[in-house]
Amino acid sequence: MIHYLLLPFFSFLFIVLQTTVFELLFLNLVSVEISLILVIYAGFHMDALKGGLLSCALGFFLDVITGTIVGLHVILYLSIFFISMLVSLRVYAERSLFILSYVLACALLECGVMLLFYKHIQGLDLFHKFDTVFLPQILVVTLVSPVCFNSFRRFGDILNVRVERSNKRSRNR
Amino acid sequence: MLFFKKHRSLIATTILVVISLVMLSYHVVNPSVEPGPVRKIVLDLAVTMERAVNTPVEALENIWKRYLFLIGLKKENRRLVQHNALLTRQLVQHQEGYLEAQRLKKLLALSESISYETVAASVTGRNRKSLHQTIMIDKGSIHGIKTGMPVVADRGVVGRIIETTGHVSRVLLLIDESSNVDSIIQGGRGQGILSGDGNSRCFLKYVPKLEEVRLGEAVITSGICGVFPKSWLLGTVSRVARGESGLFQTVEVLPSVNFAKLEEVLVLTSPKKGRND
Repeated sequence: MIHYLLLPFFSFLFIVLQTTVFELLFLNLVSVEISLILVIYAGFHMDALKGGLLSCALGFFLDVITGTIVGLHVILYLSIFFISMLVSLRVYAERSLFILSYVLACALLECGVMLLFYKHIQGLDLFHKFDTVFLPQILVVTLVSPVCFNSFRRFGDILNVRVERSNKRSRNR
Repeated sequence: MLFFKKHRSLIATTILVVISLVMLSYHVVNPSVEPGPVRKIVLDLAVTMERAVNTPVEALENIWKRYLFLIGLKKENRRLVQHNALLTRQLVQHQEGYLEAQRLKKLLALSESISYETVAASVTGRNRKSLHQTIMIDKGSIHGIKTGMPVVADRGVVGRIIETTGHVSRVLLLIDESSNVDSIIQGGRGQGILSGDGNSRCFLKYVPKLEEVRLGEAVITSGICGVFPKSWLLGTVSRVARGESGLFQTVEVLPSVNFAKLEEVLVLTSPKKGRND
């Protein structure tokens, strides 16, 4: 129960840190979406309810704080979470190379969906920003993903995922 | 109940997806909707926290930038000092131009108000070490200037041309000892000859003791000799002394023109046609 109570607070804090401290670490040159890596990590290691709620909360707070249309990141994160959950049932998702490739694919998917959404729903063509804004973000997120995965593992106790991960693996076997 | 427990994940998934789709659709349809209380609270909290995080970070950044990261600062400082010097020079030039324009405006107004043809000239030099009190102006005979022509400024008479070349002329100032101008005291109409003392003052000579002269009275040109036009201000009476002997009193006159600060003058070349002064 404590998990569900702490989850919104944790998500909020995470997004605030992402938009302040994490961006400072990258000298405000590029905005790094660590929350995407967390969603993927949750998809690999958490159950549907906890991970889904975490993805929802992260997406909601990201939308509110960054000023995106509320619900866009929520649906994107939920989709990525559920896809990751399905993938983790079929693939051994602990190798760095796989994490790198998978995060790259998810980041590209997110970017593509966002660009298409803005173009067709909002009438804003942002494709010209792909090279200058989106691609550097995607590359940086991809490169830092293994490090982030290791960090999330260390904070696994707080996220209460250790037991679930072992349960999931035993189910896979 | 067992159904809910068995399909917990599926139900949770469905609910979350439906909620997120509703949320997105609502905000797409109503893009300019007022933020709800949750969004407001989240934003307020986020901004507060961002400030709390950013304050020490900015302080550290400032320390880094101001005290530690000083690469190129010396070069930048040198560049700024040079730039500052350049701007100061430009500012002085502009101020100088503005002041010159103000002076020329006055001179132009004077030129339009008098009944003489005039040539405007700038003072190019002063013979401070010379025995005579003279100035050089940047106009000469090719501009129509001839020896003997009167020179005036906005405040009154300056002197007369004593020497001229093609492009420059020398002006003998009122304060020179060899300068003599036929004058009248404006109030009492007493006449005399105004001569310089060689420094910064003049004396009105040959004013009879019987003549009433008051301090502060204006001394103007009489126009008798034909060199200076009539009724031009020469100065004001600053001291009167009646000695016990002799026929005349000593009248000291303070020139109306400040010769030390004179920069532009008008040379009166000839009376305008159709006017008599």
